[in-house]
Amino acid sequence: MTLTLALLQQAVADTTGAYGHFPGIGGRGAVWIAAEVHLMFAAFVLGVPMFAVITELIGIVAKDSKYDKLSHEFTRLLVFAYSATALWGAMLLFALTTLYPKFWAHMTRIFSVSMWIYVSLFFVESFTLYLYYYGWERWQFGRGKWFHWGLGVLLNVWGTTVMLIANGWLTYMMSPPTGATAEGLPKGVTMWNAIANATWIPINIHRLIANAVFGGAIVAAYAAYRFLAAKTPEERAHYDWMGYVGNFIAISTFIVLPFAGYWLGREIYQYNQQMGITMMGGFMSWLWIVQAVLIGVLFLCANYYLWLGMARIPGAERFVPYTKWMLLLLIVCWIAWSTPHTMIATRDELVSMGGAHHPFLNVLGVMSAKNTAVNLMILTTFLSFLIYRRANKESVVPWARTGTLIQGAMFVIAAAVVLFYGVYGYFVEAIVRIGFSVYQVGAVLMCILGVSIIDAFIGRGARSRGEIRWGQMPERSQYALFVLAVTFTWLMGLMGFARSGIRQHWHVWEVMRDTSPDAFTPALGYAANMISLCVLIFLSLVAFIFWLGGLAERASHAVAPEPHGVAIPPGIAVARPGAAPVTGD
Amino acid sequence: MWKTNLKVLAIALLVVGFYTTVAHIIPQLQSEVPEALALGSGVTPEALVAAGEKIYNGAGGCTACHGLGTRAPNLITDYKGQGAVGARCGTRKPGMACKAYLYESLTQPQAYIVQGFDPIMPDMRKQLSDDQIWAAVAFLESQGGEVDVTGEDIAKSAPAKGAAPAPTGPAMTATLDPVALYSEKGCIGCHQMDGKGGAVGPSWDHIGSRRSAASIRKKIIDPKSDTTKGFEKFAGMMPATFGQMLTAAQLEALVTFLANKK
Repeated sequence: MTLTLALLQQAVADTTGAYGHFPGIGGRGAVWIAAEVHLMFAAFVLGVPMFAVITELIGIVAKDSKYDKLSHEFTRLLVFAYSATALWGAMLLFALTTLYPKFWAHMTRIFSVSMWIYVSLFFVESFTLYLYYYGWERWQFGRGKWFHWGLGVLLNVWGTTVMLIANGWLTYMMSPPTGATAEGLPKGVTMWNAIANATWIPINIHRLIANAVFGGAIVAAYAAYRFLAAKTPEERAHYDWMGYVGNFIAISTFIVLPFAGYWLGREIYQYNQQMGITMMGGFMSWLWIVQAVLIGVLFLCANYYLWLGMARIPGAERFVPYTKWMLLLLIVCWIAWSTPHTMIATRDELVSMGGAHHPFLNVLGVMSAKNTAVNLMILTTFLSFLIYRRANKESVVPWARTGTLIQGAMFVIAAAVVLFYGVYGYFVEAIVRIGFSVYQVGAVLMCILGVSIIDAFIGRGARSRGEIRWGQMPERSQYALFVLAVTFTWLMGLMGFARSGIRQHWHVWEVMRDTSPDAFTPALGYAANMISLCVLIFLSLVAFIFWLGGLAERASHAVAPEPHGVAIPPGIAVARPGAAPVTGD
Repeated sequence: MWKTNLKVLAIALLVVGFYTTVAHIIPQLQSEVPEALALGSGVTPEALVAAGEKIYNGAGGCTACHGLGTRAPNLITDYKGQGAVGARCGTRKPGMACKAYLYESLTQPQAYIVQGFDPIMPDMRKQLSDDQIWAAVAFLESQGGEVDVTGEDIAKSAPAKGAAPAPTGPAMTATLDPVALYSEKGCIGCHQMDGKGGAVGPSWDHIGSRRSAASIRKKIIDPKSDTTKGFEKFAGMMPATFGQMLTAAQLEALVTFLANKK
C-alpha cells in the first residue's frame, strides 16, 4: 500500500508543471490544430517547388514558354504560402513550449543542435525562394535561365532537408533508439542515432511522395477555380491545361504512395509488433475503413475527370464504351476494400456474429480481397490515363498493332497475377499470405513500366486525329478537381492521426508517458471533427492566398496590359464557341 | 462569380461533412490510459477480477490479438475444445501452475509460444504496473478457473522501495548454463532443441555443423545480418535485443555451446 501511494505521488509529481491549459479545446486540441495546419502548408510548399522546377526544365528543353509560365504561376502561390507555413510553425512552437513544457524540454535536450540547423535552413530556403521568384524576368534567357533553374533545384534541396530534420523529431517519438529515457539519451547514443531511427527513412520517402501528390492536387484545384472564373476562352484553355497537369502529377505520384505506405507499416511492425497491431488491428482498425472510403473517392474522381476530358479529344469516342465497365470494376473493388474484417469486437458482438468474424463479410474483408481490389483499381486508373493519352493519336510505326497487343497482354497478365494470388491467399497461412502482396504489387508495377515504355515508342511521330480542345470542358469536371483536393487534404489529416495515435498514451513510445488529462487517444468521431476543422482552416487560408495571387496578377496586368487577355501558350488549342479551334504558335 | 464561389464552398463542405459522418457512424473506440491501481495486501479476488477485466478490454490492448483466433489464442472463449484460458492454463507447461504460467506469459512472453502462433506478444511490464499485471492474471484465471491471486503476490513481485526500476526485458540472471539460457531468454519459443521448442527459427540441433562460432555470435547480436535458407518468411522476427539482454560471458557460453552442437 505504501509503495502504491509512493508511485501515485510520483505520478502526481511527474504531472505537476508538465502541462499548460488552453481554454475551450484544451492543450491537445490547440497543438493538434497548429501542427496539422502547419503540416498541410509545409506539404504544399515542399510539393509545389518539386514540379515548378520540373515544368521549368521541360520549358527550357522543349523551348516551350507555356511550361515556363506554368512554373512561374506555381511559384507565385509559394511566396504567400511560405509566410503561412512559418506563421503556423511559430504557433506550433509556442503551443508546445507553453502547453507541453516538460515534453518539449525533453525534445530540446536531445535535438537542440538540429533545431538550430533547422531554423538556419528555413532562412536560406526563404531567401532562395525570393531570388527564384523575383529573378524570373532577370534570368530568363541563355545561361541565366539555367542559373535560375539551379535556384529552383536548390530550393528543393533546402526544403527537403528541412523536412528530413523535422521527420527525425517526430519519428523519434514513435521509434526512439534503445536505451532512451525520459532524462535523455544514454551514453554512446548520439542525436544522429535519435534522428536516424527505425521509421525515419520510410517516413521520409512516404512524405516526399505525398507532398508531390498534395502539391499537384492543390494546384489543380487552383486551376479549377481560375477556369470557372475565366472570362476569355484563352484563359479557360490555359487553366484547363493547368488543371490537367496538376491532376496528372497528383494521381501518377499517388499510385506509388501505397507501396511507400506498405514499407512504413512493415518498419513499424519490425520495430514494435504491438504498435503495428494497434495500428492495423487494434483500436485503430476502423480507421482503415474510413481511409478506404476516401481512397475510393479519389480513384473515382480521378477517373471521372479523365473520362470527361476525353470529350474534348477528337478520336476519344472509340474508347467511351469501355468506361462504364471500368466504372463498374472500380465500384466493385471499392466495396471490397471498404469491407470491415479484423475489428475489435466486444463479447456481445462476438456472440451476435457467431464468431470472431462476420459469416459473410469475412470473405470480402480479408487482406487477400483488399490487396486484389486496390491493385485492380490502380490498373484501371492507369488504363484510363493510357486511353486518354492515346485518344487523339494515330500511330505510324509498322508494329503499332503488335505493340498494342503486347500492351493488352501485359494488362491481362498483371490482372491475372493479382487475381491468382488474391484467391490463393485464402488457402495459406496469414504469414505466407502477407508475402503475396509483393507479387501483386510487382506485377502491377511491371505492367505500368512495360506498357509506358512501349507507349512512348508507339507514339513516336504519331499522326494527330485533331488538337485537344482545351477549355471545352464541362464545369462538373472542375468540381471533381475540388473533391480531389479536399479529399487529399482530409486524407493527410487522417493519416497524421493514425501515425500519431498509435503511440497511444506515450509522448515518446515507451520512454515518456503522457500524464495529462488528454492522454487517452480519442475515438475516430472526435478525430474526424478535428481533422475537418483543420481542413477547413487550411482551405480557407489557401482560398485567401489564391485570391491574393489573383490580385498580384491583376496589379501586374495593370502595369503592362495584354491586348487580348492572356496570351495563347504555344501548343494549346483554344475552343471558341461556334468557331474552329485556334492554336497558339 | 458569387454563384461559383458558393458552389465551391458547398462542394468543400459537402465532402468534409461526408467524411466526418462516415467517421461518426462506425464504432467509436477510444484508447484508454491504464488506470493506476491501489490494490493493497487485503485486496479481494472480486476487486482484482474487476480491475483485470477493465485492463483486458481496455488499456491493456489484449483484445487486439486475443479473441480473433488468428493472431493469438482465444482467451475468454473456447480454444480448440480446451475451454477458456482459466480452464487450460494449468496444463500448458508441465509442472507450472496456472497463476505462474499466466504471469510468465505477461512478463516473459517468449518463454513459451503456443504452437501455431508467432512470438508477437510484448512484455507487458513496459505498459502496465505490477498490480495491473496481477489484476489481469486474476481476470484470466476467472475465465473458467479459480482465482488464487492475492495481495501477497503483488507485494512480492513489486520492486522494493528505492530499488532500481523493473527491468524492461526478460529477467537477467547470472547463469552461464546455455540450456538454462535457452529457456530463460525465450529462445525456446522459436528454436527447437532436443525435441522441444517452436519452429519459427532454425533448429539448434546440429547447428554447429551449419554455422561457425563467429557466424552464430554475429547472428545473435545482429539478427538481420543474414537469413537461414528456408526461413525467409520469418525474416526479421528474431529480436535484435539479445546483445543487450545477455552478458558477455553468457553470450560466449551460448556461442560455444551452439558451435559444439555438431
